[in-house]
Amino acid sequence: MKTSLFIIIVLISGAFAGLIHGTVNFAIVEPYLDQAIGIENRNLFESGEEEDTLEFWVEYEGYRVWQKSGQILAGVILGTSVGALYGIVFALSRNSLPGNNDVKKAIVLAGIMWLTIYLIPFLKYPANPPTVGDGETVVLRSMLYLSFIAISGFAAVGFYQLSKKFKSNKKLVALIGYAVFISAVFFAMPENPDEITAPMNLVTEFRIMSVLGVTSFWVSIGVILGILWDRLKSHKQPPHSYS
Amino acid sequence: MVLTFMSESRQINVSKTGVSKLAIVALAIVFAAGLFVVGFDQGHVFSLVYGEQAFADLYIHELTHDMRHAAGFPCH
Repeated sequence: MKTSLFIIIVLISGAFAGLIHGTVNFAIVEPYLDQAIGIENRNLFESGEEEDTLEFWVEYEGYRVWQKSGQILAGVILGTSVGALYGIVFALSRNSLPGNNDVKKAIVLAGIMWLTIYLIPFLKYPANPPTVGDGETVVLRSMLYLSFIAISGFAAVGFYQLSKKFKSNKKLVALIGYAVFISAVFFAMPENPDEITAPMNLVTEFRIMSVLGVTSFWVSIGVILGILWDRLKSHKQPPHSYS
Repeated sequence: MVLTFMSESRQINVSKTGVSKLAIVALAIVFAAGLFVVGFDQGHVFSLVYGEQAFADLYIHELTHDMRHAAGFPCH
């Protein structure tokens, strides 16, 4: 196998999981985005930056439709992208993952990646709806967020590799090592510099829906790639004999 | 004292990952490109065709705007 088949099943898995993610977001996150953008518009009127005119609302509806329709398309693109990373890690780590079949192994890896490159970074730099976020700090915030994701992901891989050198309690060593390290990084990294000016209940509910949406992606990709991998047996190699 | 040497023949199934470097490179490119488009583009991609105007139009930014917020990427 085909390199092409491996790439295809990884991309299909990511695209489908992304489609599910985008659809879930469309159903449960969009109402909160609309509320937040409504607040943003009111702030624009009150500050005098915009006027509450028919022209404003025509233009607003135009780009809002574009933004909403992009939710699902962006879900597919993001899903394919993150799915590609997931596919690489799964292929390289499959033999080390717990589970007696590919579906279980794929779900375990999805859980590990959900925790290390999504949930823990999210706890440090949680998602925010529109109205929260200063355009002047977006580059800094992007760098902080990406850095934290990269540190967490590489730390998970690093402590796993390190734990192999131990004769016993390998999983425990990897888990404790990662937990101590990422806790230190968590408190050492700078906070999000932006003040939250939107109502806190809106922000909290938006964040919960955001987590549910992203979680739907990781569950989906674990199940889909696991099933496809299992059915197509893309990993099978002829046994090597040593005498 | 008699030493007996036994010829041991054993078969070991070596389970390789079976992943080609080409596949890893191709998927890594997909990962980086997709992540940039959805999470961070501020007109950069279209600026290759439309020049500076792309940074004002922000078509990709607006298209991915809702997913950026929903997936936790910094925005605005």
